[in-house]
Amino acid sequence: MTTATAMHPVPVRRRAATPRWWADAAGAAGWLSLLVVTALWMHNSGVQQTTGGGWTAVAAIGRLAGLYAADLMLLQILLLARIPLVERAFGQDRLARWHRWTGFTSFHLMLAHVVLITLGYAGPVHTNALAELWDLVVTYPGMLLAALGFAALTMVVVTSVRAARRRLRYESWHMLHLYAYLGVGLALPHQLWTGADFIGSPAARAYWWTLYAVAAGAVLVYRAGLPAWRSWRHRLTISHIVPEGPGLTSVYLRGRRLDRLPVRAGQFFQWRFLDGPGWSRAHPYSLSGPPRSDLLRITVKDLGDGSAQVAALRPGTRVLVEGPYGRLTGETYPGGPVTMFACGIGITPLLALLWELPYRHGEATLVYRARTEADLAFRTELEWLAAHRGVRVVYLLGARAGRPSWLPARYADNTDEGALYQVAADIARHHVYVCGPDPWTDAVRSAARTAGVAADRLHTEQFAW
Amino acid sequence: MRRITLWLLSTVAAVVLAFSYRTSTMGAAGGETVSVAAPPTTGPTGIGGSPEDDGTTEDDGPTGNAVTPETTGNARSYAGSVVQTRWGPIQVTITVTGGKITDVAVPTYPSGNHRDEEINAYALPVLRQAVLDTQSAHIDTVSGATVTSDGYKQSLQAAIDAAHLR
Repeated sequence: MTTATAMHPVPVRRRAATPRWWADAAGAAGWLSLLVVTALWMHNSGVQQTTGGGWTAVAAIGRLAGLYAADLMLLQILLLARIPLVERAFGQDRLARWHRWTGFTSFHLMLAHVVLITLGYAGPVHTNALAELWDLVVTYPGMLLAALGFAALTMVVVTSVRAARRRLRYESWHMLHLYAYLGVGLALPHQLWTGADFIGSPAARAYWWTLYAVAAGAVLVYRAGLPAWRSWRHRLTISHIVPEGPGLTSVYLRGRRLDRLPVRAGQFFQWRFLDGPGWSRAHPYSLSGPPRSDLLRITVKDLGDGSAQVAALRPGTRVLVEGPYGRLTGETYPGGPVTMFACGIGITPLLALLWELPYRHGEATLVYRARTEADLAFRTELEWLAAHRGVRVVYLLGARAGRPSWLPARYADNTDEGALYQVAADIARHHVYVCGPDPWTDAVRSAARTAGVAADRLHTEQFAW
Repeated sequence: MRRITLWLLSTVAAVVLAFSYRTSTMGAAGGETVSVAAPPTTGPTGIGGSPEDDGTTEDDGPTGNAVTPETTGNARSYAGSVVQTRWGPIQVTITVTGGKITDVAVPTYPSGNHRDEEINAYALPVLRQAVLDTQSAHIDTVSGATVTSDGYKQSLQAAIDAAHLR
């Protein structure tokens, strides 16, 4: 059995395409939750108090800031809870970007909440703001817990500022980031017991209890329960390890009932190899071959973050997975011409897609960018695909161009989109798949958009976040 | 000990200690039954008012003076029910002379912390004046003292009912 034929797809269960209304529904739900919060605040005379001016207005705006902060934090937990509907509607790369934005926004709202409430409470009774803050923390129901939650969330935000994030080991940063759950949870009592918008408003209490319960449930089910269940059900173990080239290693995995694992070519899992320390960090690797009912394959590049250890893994090692995740699939590909752009290790999900997509002979093109010929991987498989499925493979070798471009230096006198036309004159009619480092992916993406590729035919996913 | 163990232990300690603090569980004890008024005293309130409710009061201060009616010449006093609010119990007593409310007293009101005292120090006189002006429990809530105002109005209504005012 050669490497190439080893990856012949065996028919597996196909999953229905993601309905397009999912994204609308999820977006509408998030928007509605902010609307509900605003309405509950208005129902509790929020607007009258604000227009009335004075310290009451300050406190009223402070309350609204706090409510928005809490709502956004709970929405973020939901966004990142790996809920399949949300994952498939938006994709993790977009969710991660939104998380960064809503994370900082909700933190700033929380700061505004603390400052405005303190001033609004201190003002009418003419106390010193710091004394008032102390009084609030030590005498109001649930407020000491809220202060502790504030400290936890502040730590999470501070360690996520880019400068601090770079200095921390991933594992440390990740552990500290888990304190966000603690921080959000500790904020709940003061909302229910001290929050003016909750006392005497069963609707508000019902809304917040529901939101907290749903967020906690989603985390337990989709972040912990489902991955644990999948890992237990499929019992993935390492079958064998194959070196693919310099710094590149393929890991073949076997497991039980892999035909029931709802994964498609182009998707990735978070992997933990139970071979000793380091398992606490999960690594995202795409499948580099089509998912089969008896065998999975990932290919790992040594990036200096523990991925070098992969080459030393022993057959039989147990593996835990979270996933599958990712939207770079053939789900919306109906057939017809397809062009793929791979750069470096970005070849892995595209190779899996080349095995799986139902294009006709000669309809597929792969543009494969690498520094040197030695960096190219999967030559045998690509030759097999070229010979048997008519895939046209275009290698782009050489150093980077002097400007931001997806082309190597030697072709840099072409424009980015001009070169696309040379790859395929009718590129605008193609389905285009792109995977590589972020700047490179962005360059292909914008060139393809300029060349007239519709957004719903342009499939990309970013992995560096 | 590894650093992660230290972090875990410190976190557990911080959370446990924080939950041991008195303000961290006070809402849970009150449960969902807050700001539910004690049933308004029925019939002529002359027989002892409602001091049973005061058993829940933390300070056994001046709450016992709800013995009504207290007749001084033409004036009679009527005590409202003790209303449990989020911040504590509140009870309103009215003095009725010739079918008119001539005075309002608040023998019991929330005083759990000094903000309650500060708030009530300005809210209660405002409420009292509003009652004397409108002769009813249909008075505006005092901004910044919503909870106390609501409890005040409930207890006041019970007192007005007891006095058979309209």
